[in-house]
Amino acid sequence: MSINFKHIEDKLKTEAKKLLEQGKVSIVLAYGKGYDDHHPMPYVARNAADVGNIVFNEFCTANLARYLVRYPRGTKIAIAVKAADSRAVIQLIQEDKIKRENLVVLGIPVSGMKNSKTGEIIDSKTTCGLYNPVLYDILLGKEVHGKSVISPYDVLAEYEKMDKDARWDFWKKELDKCIRCYACRKACPMCYCDPCFIDQNKPKWGEKSPESHGNLMYHLTRFHHLAGRCIDCGECSRACPVNIPLYLFHKKVAKECEEMFGQVAGMKIEDKPTLVNFRVEDSDKILE
Amino acid sequence: MSRIGVFVCHCGLNIAKTVRVSELAKFASTLPDVVVAKDYKFMCSTPGQEMIANDIKKHKLDRVIVSACSPLMHEQTFRKVLENAGLNKYLVTIVNIREQVSWVTHDIEEGTAKAKAVLNGAVYRARLLGPLTSRVIDVNDDVMVVGAGIAGIQASLELANTGKKVYLIEKNSTIGGHMAQFDKTFPTLDCSACILTPKMDAVMQHKNITLMTYCEVSEVKGFVGNFDVTVRQKARYIDHSKCNGCLACTEKCPGKGVSEWDEGLVKRKAIHIPFPQAVPQRPIIDRDACVFFKKGKCRLCEKVCEHKAIDFEQQDTFTTVKVGAVIVATGYDLMDTQPLVQYGYGKYPGVYNALEVERLFNSTGPTGGKVTLRDGKEPQAIAILHCIGSRDKNNYEHCSRVCCMYSLKFSHLFKEKTTADVYQFYIDMRAAGKGYEEFYNRIIEEDVKFIRGKGARVAESADEPGRLVVEAEDTITGKFVKLPVDMVVLSPAMIPRSGSKEIARLFNLSTDKNGFFMERHPKLAPLSTMSEGIFIAGVCQSPKDIPDTVAQANGAAAEALTIVEKDKMELEATTAMVNPSSCCACQNCVRVCPYGAPFFNEQKGVSEINEALCKGCGLCASVCPASAIIARHFTNDQVLAEIEGLMEF
Repeated sequence: MSINFKHIEDKLKTEAKKLLEQGKVSIVLAYGKGYDDHHPMPYVARNAADVGNIVFNEFCTANLARYLVRYPRGTKIAIAVKAADSRAVIQLIQEDKIKRENLVVLGIPVSGMKNSKTGEIIDSKTTCGLYNPVLYDILLGKEVHGKSVISPYDVLAEYEKMDKDARWDFWKKELDKCIRCYACRKACPMCYCDPCFIDQNKPKWGEKSPESHGNLMYHLTRFHHLAGRCIDCGECSRACPVNIPLYLFHKKVAKECEEMFGQVAGMKIEDKPTLVNFRVEDSDKILE
Repeated sequence: MSRIGVFVCHCGLNIAKTVRVSELAKFASTLPDVVVAKDYKFMCSTPGQEMIANDIKKHKLDRVIVSACSPLMHEQTFRKVLENAGLNKYLVTIVNIREQVSWVTHDIEEGTAKAKAVLNGAVYRARLLGPLTSRVIDVNDDVMVVGAGIAGIQASLELANTGKKVYLIEKNSTIGGHMAQFDKTFPTLDCSACILTPKMDAVMQHKNITLMTYCEVSEVKGFVGNFDVTVRQKARYIDHSKCNGCLACTEKCPGKGVSEWDEGLVKRKAIHIPFPQAVPQRPIIDRDACVFFKKGKCRLCEKVCEHKAIDFEQQDTFTTVKVGAVIVATGYDLMDTQPLVQYGYGKYPGVYNALEVERLFNSTGPTGGKVTLRDGKEPQAIAILHCIGSRDKNNYEHCSRVCCMYSLKFSHLFKEKTTADVYQFYIDMRAAGKGYEEFYNRIIEEDVKFIRGKGARVAESADEPGRLVVEAEDTITGKFVKLPVDMVVLSPAMIPRSGSKEIARLFNLSTDKNGFFMERHPKLAPLSTMSEGIFIAGVCQSPKDIPDTVAQANGAAAEALTIVEKDKMELEATTAMVNPSSCCACQNCVRVCPYGAPFFNEQKGVSEINEALCKGCGLCASVCPASAIIARHFTNDQVLAEIEGLMEF
């Protein structure tokens, strides 16, 4: 299951060049050089000459779907996506933030990506654990076969053993660490509100400086806003400078949503966003 | 700075019994911006209203809080008081300390404490309230009636006679409903068809009624005064504009289907009219029974039709009708008794349900009105079992109300048409209604045997093969009865018409635990629903007999008329609006709105709200992640202030 990153990078360059030269898209969202090889950065190629700057290696973890909503509606965009990133694309299409026909999705089947901060291999502990993009137009490489070591929800086992009070204490302790840099919000492809509720003054939903109440208000509301929408890419947790395990809460909510409504975020274009879609047969468990 | 007046109502002892009202008023006077606080025995009485009006003038109040019953009761009353005193009517706040406080506790300490908390919240919110202007809209003066049984027919005729245009929607191919299946009606024993068919014909002839049979409602948009209802015309495979009703096609048709009309007792043709007096007198093709649709060959009907009315290519079509009010009268089904295996329905040919027996009595029925069993023999002994599935905690708790009476009617008709012994197995006889007790006495005289005890089991007779045995406990003698009979008639629970769940969803109706539509108030608004402009009549609300159904239909027609008679009507000002600079274009509002008010403005890239459609329910505001939606009268600031006030306790 060894991945030839160089091969993917070459293919990504070739396809990006073709698309830009043929005028099929006006920009290509991919990865470029950072200050060293361990820190590649999101990169926007606007013409064929830019394509040479594109890189792809095991540290290219950023979810580029984050940048789709930045461009005016109707912009033709090609985007490089890994498995979870493609789910973000699907979710954004479901939410009608972007249109399928304006996108060329360059799918990257990959495993063994690494966290640039720790060098650890990223697996289903902090992400959805899929290898192959769910949605793509062009697949850059062969599909990866093999089972994820654990299921994306297995990591919850420890957490679910805690009772209500223990969970509350756990999150209060974790969220107290937050310095309100909003890196989680910036990294998240589904966090596209501008202004974010927490930045508003009337009403003032929560304290803006880093302190317990405001931190709780910000994070709990953000968790809630991502219920049924989080596609489990794990970017928020990797972006966090103080290592708050945000993925835990998101996974827990995703699991509840799946159990209650039988729907996983970002898996099918034709699905409707879970929490704003009323079906007569929906479970009433949430009311109990 | 605002000047708030707080008025605490005792509601006799309704509130005062579990809330210390004078203490509450005293507490209110200590709250910020409150300049006067009083309590009074009946705030809704004329002196109570005058007291508020006087205080508004005397203390120059600009906000009023009435701490009393539910706003559903008297909000309008107190809004009038403010309006007459020269204040904007939206500046009154009703604090419900009756239904939500005093009636839900026996403890005066608890009651008083909670009343203080909710009042405190209300004061905090009231300080942030602002004046609002009501909207005035045009009212469409047509009415839609859904379901053309006796209730729908009656309501349509009443409305049409006042000059209103009525769209009458029926899902079957003929109007008439269950009443057209009956032979006689209790207690007068007049012929059901003789009293119903003139009305069916009147519907057909009436220039103000647009009859839409074989149709179903598929979508409802809009609101009171302006509904847009989309109706699906199911494919009949016959062009009714060409068909002259000669019925030559029905004679030649080789296709056989089960007759819904005769409750499945006989077969009918694939191309058919349900019964001779059907309205409209035009056939339809049952796709599942049609030889052409099944095997691709036949088209005999097409050959015999001189008017070229047969159209195998016909598709469902959709039309949208604009109406001001809707009456839902979708009626009932009998409960399926097959799962109640102890009664052997569907297992023993001698067991019938009530509607099947109605058809046996009827001269247009499967036996031409002769009472014979499925094997053609005349029964010698007949048992009628009451309360099958109804008044039964394991199935339906409700009483179906008409079974006692129709069972008596059956006894009479059995006596008239056969020489059989007739037995009634009942829990207790319910004969409340004009002439009903007299009818009961008359049937007792007719040598019908009454056994007080619910039929427990129907089994095959061990001694006489082919006969049945009804087992029950006679609760008068305390003895166990085993009665050999040839025929058993079950009186099953009446339940809402299949598909009424879908109707409830389309029209936003609530249902009770059995699926019957909920009225707005069980006593004082029995025909209205929580959806304004939608009324209910007949058994879809709860089981009832024909006289009650007709009375309700007339009532619902009058209710609908109160809406469509007006040219204009005032709508609540409590609508929602979008702050475009905060909108994140997630379109959650567009997805959740049950009224279709928000829409996405592609050009501006933000959501907008069509205020004419907005009912002010606030769903959009609650799902807006960027808090860009402002629900007037319930703005985020106002609601947060109220919560803050509540949490102080």
